Order: sequence, then structure tokens, then C-alpha cells
Amino acid sequence: MSNHVFSRRGLLKAAGLTGGAVALAACAGPGGEAAPRGSGAAGFDGPVEGELSFAHWRAEDKEVFDQVIASFTRKHPKVTVRQDISASADYQSTALTKIRGGGVGDAFTAFRGAQFANIASAGVWSDLTGQSLVDAYEPALITAGAGGGKQLGLPYQLVFNMPVTNPDLLATHGYANLPQDWDGFLGVLDGLRSKGVTPIAWPGGDSGNGGQLINSMVMNNAPADDAFARVEAGTLKVTDDWFLTTLRQYEQLKPYFQDGATGSANEAAMQLFATGKAAFLATGSYAAGPVRKLGARFPLGLYAPITVAAGQARYEGIFNATFILGVNANSSKRGAALAWLQHLSDPAVAGVYANGTSQHVTVKGVEYTNADLKAFAPWLTRKTLLAPRFQFNNLDIRTAVEEAAVKVVGGTKPEEAAEAAQRVVDQKR
Amino acid sequence: MRRTWGLYLFPIPALALYLAFFVLPAAQGLQYATTDWDGFSPGFNRVGADNLVRIATDDDQFANALGNNLTFLLAVVSGQTVLALGLAVLLAARSRGSTALRALFFLPTVLSSISVAFVWRFVYDPNLGLLHSLGVPGTFLGDEDTAILWVAVAQVWFHAGQMMVIFIAGINQIPAELHEAAHVDGAGRWQRFRFVTWPMLAPATALVVAYTTIQSFKAFDLILGLAGNPPRSSLDILSTRIYTTFANSQLGYAAAESVVFMVAIGVVTWLQGRAARIGAGR
Repeated sequence: MSNHVFSRRGLLKAAGLTGGAVALAACAGPGGEAAPRGSGAAGFDGPVEGELSFAHWRAEDKEVFDQVIASFTRKHPKVTVRQDISASADYQSTALTKIRGGGVGDAFTAFRGAQFANIASAGVWSDLTGQSLVDAYEPALITAGAGGGKQLGLPYQLVFNMPVTNPDLLATHGYANLPQDWDGFLGVLDGLRSKGVTPIAWPGGDSGNGGQLINSMVMNNAPADDAFARVEAGTLKVTDDWFLTTLRQYEQLKPYFQDGATGSANEAAMQLFATGKAAFLATGSYAAGPVRKLGARFPLGLYAPITVAAGQARYEGIFNATFILGVNANSSKRGAALAWLQHLSDPAVAGVYANGTSQHVTVKGVEYTNADLKAFAPWLTRKTLLAPRFQFNNLDIRTAVEEAAVKVVGGTKPEEAAEAAQRVVDQKR
Repeated sequence: MRRTWGLYLFPIPALALYLAFFVLPAAQGLQYATTDWDGFSPGFNRVGADNLVRIATDDDQFANALGNNLTFLLAVVSGQTVLALGLAVLLAARSRGSTALRALFFLPTVLSSISVAFVWRFVYDPNLGLLHSLGVPGTFLGDEDTAILWVAVAQVWFHAGQMMVIFIAGINQIPAELHEAAHVDGAGRWQRFRFVTWPMLAPATALVVAYTTIQSFKAFDLILGLAGNPPRSSLDILSTRIYTTFANSQLGYAAAESVVFMVAIGVVTWLQGRAARIGAGR
């Protein structure tokens, strides 16, 4: 036998050709996956058994969900529920990739806005229209889970994305009643600062939490309730007067934030507030639980800055219906997943969740026993606007617009910050 | 040695793995870069080089991330190399004290990036942080102009100990006779370092610089841990930009950004190779 069956060059050629062929095969491109089973209701009558994956981002709710799971498995002994929890930012980025195969997230949750829309485009929501559990919810609060005339998901949490207050501290300094106009608000902030109190703790270094303040700041300045959606669509600009006014108001707030607010993380801002050093925490009602864990013993309130003159405000505050519950259309356990959602929709169970996590829910007839939820309850009937920042479907655009406010607090002129943001909007639309 | 057909079967498993896990994904990545695929829809449009043209001409966020990454790269490569070299020179001698200090400086390397990020988030907090309590003024990560440099400091702290070990290995390989000869010729400490240690450490330095460069491009988890997701523009680097684009359901565009990212690493590595050869007089 010859000892030169292949030369080295020949072997390399063969490897190259094989690689090329594989590369061409790879160019077959995306797609080719089995189509999702679709959004029909078929499959909900499957057996309530097996190991169910419940995908969500609320690590802080894990213990409460464990209690809820325990009551569910008592009712349905053939089912176990596993919580697949990701950090919220990661969940926002990767949930669709994880759940679309159906292996994870038989039942899952989604953020309102871009994530909900993308999951709908991918056909991963099962259509819940006509299912009895939908009747358990306040109809006006579950519109964020509807699309294409179908009820695809059920927003579960009701949060108020507006500053949390320390009413005791405010009352101590003579501000038991907060003003309903911009100049009055600035007066309160000035008074607090002169008495050695940090008026507003704002996590400007944390895009997720720091961005919440923009909801209140634009709610009465914007020319339309869907102004941010229009910015993304190109029919409004952030260089328009209404947004420049908003940025100038951020500039006015600058002296009233804690030192170095643009570099502050959420934990640090919460610490300032929880220790009674700051009167407002500019994030949202969802901070109540974490603030209690940090040792806050004072009562909590809510207040959205009114950015216009007295009597001109259209809205008093901000709410958001999120943590949208759904059943994975690609799951083989849709019967069990629906049973899990039905369990969560039971007012008694929803009450356990709400009171255990200090968050209101969209389920009707829930009795709130948690002191913070009772304190926030008046806001359930006030004139509040669905949080504008979640109107953005493009994360780059949202980041650019919110960052304009952070830049202004950092010293950039409002006009410059707005122009830079608008340039990104124009590029990314 | 007698060769047989059978010998040629041995590379096949390795080649198959290489093709399946490198060639195929890379080829798919290149293909995705020419599409507008969102990452989940069954269909997509072929856009040719449009994505690359947009990146080059009409994407401020990508240009900003590239600029940040180059600043970060320069700061980390220079800071980490100098610090690691200094520590190695001081701790190369074998003694109990130096062994303990080596372990101490190496310790951060064994931590996870996310742990390091959380530690440094508190170090940098302008109200409650360590630097604040030491009287260092500033907003650190909140400062538009210098934020990326503060991240570079954390990165250098994180990996300098690891690079120190490479330099110590290099120093220990230098024949003692060279130092003795230089000493006999009247060379002082600095001259022995300048004319003996430093030239003999060229291979170790090349390794440290190359490794640090790659680390600098991949400082993804440290940035997200420090700055949140998505990071603000002053802290956005190429890897975080690609991740944000991917999260924004623009997989085709993210793939195109990845192609540019790969080219950027290639160019920087080539420039470093050229600089090293010029420095060595070749």
C-alpha cells in the first residue's frame, strides 16, 4: 500500500470543501422550525398533570409563589410547578428565545409593550378569549394583554410607576398636603432641602428604575396620551416644545436630587429613602416591598409631580398593568398551564400574592390587608395614565429618550440632549 | 513511518465538531448579517450589505460603542499591563510574604464578573460608596466623560493578578547569569530592568497584551452588572451594543454588528502584532 494516499494539501482541500458545503447548507437560513401550534383554544382540555414550568422575572416573589404553588398542588396533586426565574433585564432580552420552543415556560409572563408584541408576533401566546378565567379580571386593566381582537395574556400586577413618598417626613416639615402644580412642587422641594432633607432619591444610574420618573414628567406635558408611541412612529419629535419643557423641568429638579444622582444605583437610592433621609423615591409602588426589607417603618404614600400650572393637569398619576400571564402555545401541558392561571386568578389566591408582595393585582374582588397596599388603594380610582415609557417598542429609542433626561441632570443643555436623542430616534425608527 | 488510510480518520471527530460548532454558526452569522430577520419570524428579507452600510454611516449608538470600546481597551491594556508588571517585579522573589501577596492580588480573578460588578457598584456610589467615604469627589459611573474609565479601573483590579502570574513565570525564566553579568558591568536596578528583564519579558508581554485586548472586548458581564441592561451610552461597548440589538429583536442587524466586531478585534490584534514586530526591530 502506498504511504501517500493523501497529501497534506489534499487533506486540507477536502476539509475546505466539506467546510464550504456545510457553510452553504447553513445558508439555508432561518425558519424551517415547526410552526407554533397556534393561538387556538384547543389543547386546554389536556390533563392537569406533569411538571409545569412557570417562567417569570420576579425573584423577590419566589417565596410567595411557593405558597401559591403549594395551594395549587394540593388541589391538583398530579402537578408540580417549577419556577424558572431570570433577572428582569435578562428576561426582557431572552425570554422569547427560551419559551418559544415550549421546553421552558409552559405558563409564562411578559412585560407590557415590546415583549408582549414580539411574543404575539412569534405566535407563542395561546388565545384565552372565552376562557372563564378572563372574567375574574377588571376589563379595563387587561387591555395590555389583548391583541388582534384576542385576549392573549392577562396582566396580573397593577403598579403605580410614580414616586413613593414618606408622608411622616413630609408632614414633619409642614407638607402634609402636596401641591398640584409645578411651582408649588418646586417650593416643597426647596423647603425640604433648606431643612437638610434630600428631597428626591433618584436612581439615575439605573436605566430601568431611573427611567420611571419620565412617566410622571410627561403625563401632563405631552400633547397626546400616546405621545411616545408617536415619537417612535415619527409624528412627534423629542425636539418639540413639550419634550424640551420636560427636559427643562428635569434641569430644575437637578438641585433636589441626591448628590451624584446620575451615578446612583437603585439599591443606594432605596437605602436613602428607607433610612428616612429622602422624602421621595422616584421609582414606583413596586419599591414598597424592597423598602420594607431595608427596614423602613414609616407609612408610604404616592405622588406624581404635576408639571403644569394649577388646574391644568389632565392626570394625577401613573399606573401600569404588567406581568402578563399566558399559556405557551407550544407547550405540551396546556391543560395544566391553564389550570395554574385559573388558580392565580382566584381572588383569594390573588390576595395571597398581592398582600405577600405589596403589589396590587388586576383580579376583581381581592381583599388587600397589606398596610402599603391599603395606603396606595385610593390611587386605584384616581385619574391615572397608563405608563407612557412602555409605549416604546424599540429599546434603543426608549433608552435614548430617557437618557436625554439623565444627561440634562448631568449638565447637558436640554436642547443638545433632545437633539442627540432625536437623532437616534430617526436612525432607529 | 508507514501511513495507512486509517490514520486519516483520526481528525474527523475534531473536524466534525469544528464544523458543527464553529464553521456552521459563523457561516449562519454571516448569512444573517445580510438579512432583516427579527430572530423569531419564519420569514425575512435579504438586504445585502445594507446593514453594514447603516452601521458605517448612520448609527450613532454603534459608533459611540466602538469609541467607548477603544477607550476602554487602551485604558485596560496600558493600566493592567503596567500594574501586573510592577506587581510581578516586586513579588517575583520567593518568600512567604511574596507568596501571600501574590495570592491576595490573584484573588479577584477567581470571583465571578457579576460579583465584582456589584462590589464596584457600591464602591462607586456617589453617596454611600467607598470612594465617597474616602473623600473622592465625583459621580463616577454617572459622569458622561469618564464613566468608561471607572469601569476600566474595575476591570484592571479584576484581572491584574492573573496577568501578574504570567509575568512572574516570565521573570523566573530569565537566567540569573544575565542579571549577574549586568550587575558586574555596573548596571543599577533600573538599568537591569530596562536592559535585561524588560526585553526578556517580550513573549510574556505579548501574551498579556493579546489576552487583555480580548478581555477588553468581552467585558460584557462586568458592564451589564455595573450599568444595568441596557447600559447608558457612556458605558455601552461593542458586546453590550450587539446584545441590546439582539434583545431589540433585530437579529440580522445584530449579526452585522458582530461581523464588524470580529473585524475590529482582527484589526486591533494585527496592529498589536505589527507594533510588537517594529518594537523588536523586525
